[in-house]
Amino acid sequence: MPPEFVQALQDMSIATALRESALVFPVILSLHLTGMGLFGGLILMTDLRILGIALTKHPVSDIVNGLRPWKHLGLTLTATCGALLLWSKAAIYYPNPYLWIKLTLFALIIIHSLVFRGVYRNIGDLDRSPAIPGRAKLAAALSIVLWISVVTAGRWIGYWEPKGAPVNAAQVVN
Amino acid sequence: MALFLAYDPSSNPLNTNEWAFPVCEVLHILGFAVGIGTITMVNIRLLGLGLKKESPADLWKGTFPWTLAGLALVLITGPLIFSSDPNMYLRNEGFRFKITMLVLALLYHYTIYRWVALNKTSGGAAVMAGLISLLLWISVVFGGIFIAFV
Repeated sequence: MPPEFVQALQDMSIATALRESALVFPVILSLHLTGMGLFGGLILMTDLRILGIALTKHPVSDIVNGLRPWKHLGLTLTATCGALLLWSKAAIYYPNPYLWIKLTLFALIIIHSLVFRGVYRNIGDLDRSPAIPGRAKLAAALSIVLWISVVTAGRWIGYWEPKGAPVNAAQVVN
Repeated sequence: MALFLAYDPSSNPLNTNEWAFPVCEVLHILGFAVGIGTITMVNIRLLGLGLKKESPADLWKGTFPWTLAGLALVLITGPLIFSSDPNMYLRNEGFRFKITMLVLALLYHYTIYRWVALNKTSGGAAVMAGLISLLLWISVVFGGIFIAFV
């Protein structure tokens, strides 16, 4: 059973309205996916550029710095919508192991950004360097793995069912 | 539509294997993130919002293979997902809307949008082309999600 405060969160009137709305819930879910669609690809393209696989005619710093504000905007949109979805079904999602895997992956992404802060801060160095240093390539490769894992864990949240309990399909879908 | 009436999807591996369906969905999401994400890069430039050091034409050419790869992944996994229950999808308003917008978006992308990206760097045509592209692709995503809610 989820702790009382989790149930209380889900029982708040805004959360209940969001969860029970035939329109608002799917609209927020759509925006969550739109954020991924518009901006998830930007993360991948940044990483592929650092790896020297894509957009090699463009300087690394142009791509990384040029896309940064857009990735931040997309992350804000996706995370805000995700938080609203989680809030609206907090007690339903609480026992779901894939939610916890996804949250753990977010913690790893924060650690990644701290560990590799130097790579992204001094991205201009890569323009002048004859070959992309291994540390930058490692950062980019790990970023791709982490974000694909986030998407995978996120999708799996919708497929887990608590053992034994009869499942209300309307609550589980997506 | 009659084509699918006699088809029994219950033996389709997507319905018998616990993993097959969600794996297709994850690949579908990754595919559209790459496809639409790379199109967004060209849009950011056409709308004059960023990436101003690059020309739209260079961005189109640089992202072209990745957009195509992303869309290909979507167009492979989409019909697989569809095969799990064709009659349900064909009757579904969200699905019909999504497919309509997808066809429009694809046609638009590889004709008018392509021409603008390759020939214009700024101005009204570039902005219009970017806005229409954004609207079409966002509509496709919304239609896809609403399949589960209509």
